[in-house]
Amino acid sequence: MTAARSFARSFDALPAIVEFTAESFAREGIDPALAPAVDFALEELFTNMVKYSPESVADVRIEVTGIAGGVEVTLTDYDVEPFDVTAAPDADISLPLEARRPGGLGLHLIRRLLDSIDYEYLREVRQSRITFRKTHGESPARQGVAEGGGPDVHD
Amino acid sequence: MFTIESGGEGAVVARGRLDAAQAAAAQTFLDGVQGMVTLDCRGLEYISSAGLGVLLKTQKRLVAAGGKLRLAGVNRHLQDIFVYSGFDQLFEIEPAP
Repeated sequence: MTAARSFARSFDALPAIVEFTAESFAREGIDPALAPAVDFALEELFTNMVKYSPESVADVRIEVTGIAGGVEVTLTDYDVEPFDVTAAPDADISLPLEARRPGGLGLHLIRRLLDSIDYEYLREVRQSRITFRKTHGESPARQGVAEGGGPDVHD
Repeated sequence: MFTIESGGEGAVVARGRLDAAQAAAAQTFLDGVQGMVTLDCRGLEYISSAGLGVLLKTQKRLVAAGGKLRLAGVNRHLQDIFVYSGFDQLFEIEPAP
């Protein structure tokens, strides 16, 4: 079963997204211990869509599906230019305080919190689709990052 | 739901979810603190990258003036976020018991 809902492209939609996710977790029997990482990834990806595609007026569709040991979430953004979130560079977290600047941490962090994140762009319909998975256990993304590699990325 | 208020004696108490929609309110409050400040995070359930930006900006300002922001009562999820952000090298962090 998949729960799906569309949200207006505004930061004001964030509480409704959190509520929808919690409802979907309960309905699908997904462990709520996975919710903080899923909420974090959803907020970062959703707010990126709002900030970087201001030309679109379409709602963003979010789908939540229970899978073995966890959850799969898909965000679909309509009438937008491509923006491959999996290609964004990591932040340099080794910099001293005086050299650090706010921003740039969102995508860096979700790579470490999730098992996988995939990006797909359908040019004919100008549609971006991001699908991520979070399960229990040590995530491949986290292991890959720890070993110096990237997350489980598919174009 | 997010609240931030003075806890007295250099403490600030944050509760709820510090997300992108609440970051401006948190920044406005923290722009008013000075010196050695402890942010009581026992009731802080969640922080987004927008919230991290608020903490970083506050720490840079306080340290430049000889003070600092300390994070106390940090839950497991927030600890993960702080470590993956490198904030464990920039802040003194006290985990929740």
